Amino acid sequence: MTTRTTPCAGSEAAETEVILDLDDISLSFGGVQALESISFDIRRHEIRAIIGPNGAGKSSMLNVINGFYHPQKGTITYEGVVVKAMKPYHAATRGIARTFQNIALFKGMSTLDNIMTGRVNHMHAGLLAQALYIGKNRREEIRNREFVETIIDFLEIQAIRNTPVGRLPYGLQKRVELGRALAAEPKLLLLDEPMAGMNLEEKQDMSRFMLDINEQYGTTIALIEHDMAVVMELSSRIVVLDYGRKLADGKPDEIRHNKDVIEAYLGVAN
Amino acid sequence: MFYREAGDFKTTYKADQAIFPIALDRWFVVTVVLVFLVVVPLLASNYMLESILTPVLILSIAAIGLNILTGYAGQLSLGTGGFMATGAYMAYKISTAFPGLNIVFVLIAAGLCAALVGIAFGVPSLRIKGFYLAVTTLAAQFFLLWLFTRVPWFVNNSISGVPTAPPRKVFGFLVSSADSDPIDRYLFVFIITVVLALVAKNLARSRIGRMWMAIRDMDIAAEIIGIRPLTSKLTAFAISSFYCGIAGALWSFAYINTVEPTAFDINRSFEILFMVIIGGLGSILGSFLGAAFIFLFPILLNVMPGWFGLEISVTLVTQVELMVFGGMMIFFLIVEPHGLARLWSIGKEKLRLWPFPH
Ligand SMILES: Nc1ncnc2c1ncn2[C@@H]1O[C@H](COP(=O)(O)OP(=O)(O)OP(=O)(O)O)[C@@H](O)[C@H]1O
Ligand SMILES: [Mg+2]
Repeated sequence: MTTRTTPCAGSEAAETEVILDLDDISLSFGGVQALESISFDIRRHEIRAIIGPNGAGKSSMLNVINGFYHPQKGTITYEGVVVKAMKPYHAATRGIARTFQNIALFKGMSTLDNIMTGRVNHMHAGLLAQALYIGKNRREEIRNREFVETIIDFLEIQAIRNTPVGRLPYGLQKRVELGRALAAEPKLLLLDEPMAGMNLEEKQDMSRFMLDINEQYGTTIALIEHDMAVVMELSSRIVVLDYGRKLADGKPDEIRHNKDVIEAYLGVAN
Repeated sequence: MFYREAGDFKTTYKADQAIFPIALDRWFVVTVVLVFLVVVPLLASNYMLESILTPVLILSIAAIGLNILTGYAGQLSLGTGGFMATGAYMAYKISTAFPGLNIVFVLIAAGLCAALVGIAFGVPSLRIKGFYLAVTTLAAQFFLLWLFTRVPWFVNNSISGVPTAPPRKVFGFLVSSADSDPIDRYLFVFIITVVLALVAKNLARSRIGRMWMAIRDMDIAAEIIGIRPLTSKLTAFAISSFYCGIAGALWSFAYINTVEPTAFDINRSFEILFMVIIGGLGSILGSFLGAAFIFLFPILLNVMPGWFGLEISVTLVTQVELMVFGGMMIFFLIVEPHGLARLWSIGKEKLRLWPFPH
């Protein structure tokens, strides 16, 4: 595994070990080259941003990381182990959780049940215990319910605990989806545009949650976000993609002043 | 304000996770069970017990089974009749091979056989969905019935091909065959139904139930949070078929007294599906309401005009029946997929506010 020596750019920035290393990843769909020889790494405990214009391949990158897409070329090393053709549920059991660009909640279930579902890998009661709701299952249901309640408190969604998520406004749905991902107690949390379509206040809440998650639980976060102010504020390092290629990689300050990036991306935005 | 959930505060998660968290619901269920257990057998006529209540209960079990698969796990099936037939024929085989074996164990064993068959026919669901899956389960329906009619082994080479269910006892009470007392038969079926309904409710509110619903609502997201589609879909097929298998066995043993293919043909599959849709997808209570409605409606339609001194021809009754069912199916599929069960809970909400309008 290639351990790069780029200094970790986090504000308080003690350099931590690499949790995920992507080396020379290429992915294509028929004729469309979504990712082309992309290499970068994510260090434990950092907030790593992935930015780039529409169609740059950001979501595809996350899909590669959690085993939803399998790249034609390249190596993925997660916690020091090379992972090959991993299924999404394997990624989940290994501590990778994510949210989606288009909300992917379980519409027919309540907020509570959605977040409880995020606990599947922490529950092990057998079929009989579940059928009779006794012993291990009863204890597990209560213990995990307690854990889920701490998440509900943390995200300040107590009032919608029993509401079917299909009836919730967009901003709250995004929050519930984050709660479901957190319920898994992930080591690596992949967030695909968690603030898209939110107003300023909602964005501030979401930023606060991300910082708290990162600090309190020590969760590593990979974040896709279009709002530059948010990205610059939150992330320790940023990788910039454009048309499936890596354009730049570095601390927020470096990215801000990078010529290529300004031309290809920020220039358009400003 | 007859129905209250306010003022019924839960102070522990344990209380909030009880099977019926609201005290009034709990008392309601207990009362209903006691009435059907004690009062009904005392008051109801034999006709009522053996020709109405017993079959409605058995159909409820099958409806719960299909509801687990279709309502909770989101896998459409038209093979219910086939899985019921598996239970009936296997119960017959097992019970005649081991005449000393208690009928309760025979039912469980027959249910397990149906579960295995369910798993086998559930495998395609890992690849295909919706309409195409419905077609494969339809194939299961036809294949299974063909198998049971064609292979004489399943009926112990009986000449007629339609053997009678053997007489079997529970605690000294005869519960199968034509000689048994309708009360004993009814109570036997009733107790099994209550147990199976409670188990289904427990499963639905445990991890496995949430896995099923997650797969139903968004299978890709479910897989990404760590749910294996293989295990959740196949357990749904297995447990659903287990219920259908027991329902089929009871139908033959405790209701029609014979093991015959026509009781489990494709019409039965559709009938159970209608029960689930009209009663409410993803609701145990709905399975009972749907079964009762579909079974009782035609009977009521036949006798009701008589109460008002009207003469209505049989053909007209059948026409009306089809029209009403068709209309209700469309209504529930489009307007209220949660069926009668949802109407029931809306009614409760109204009752909570009554007599105030808001
Ligand atoms: N399943 C797929 N099949 C075919 N093409 C795909 C698929 N997924 C992504 N692509 C293509 O890959 C490219 C990158 O898409 P991707 O969704 O990763 O972009 P993105 O950076 O997330 O864009 P956005 O900011 O709009 O979300 C696009 O050209 C897209 O059309
Ligand atoms: Mg995207």
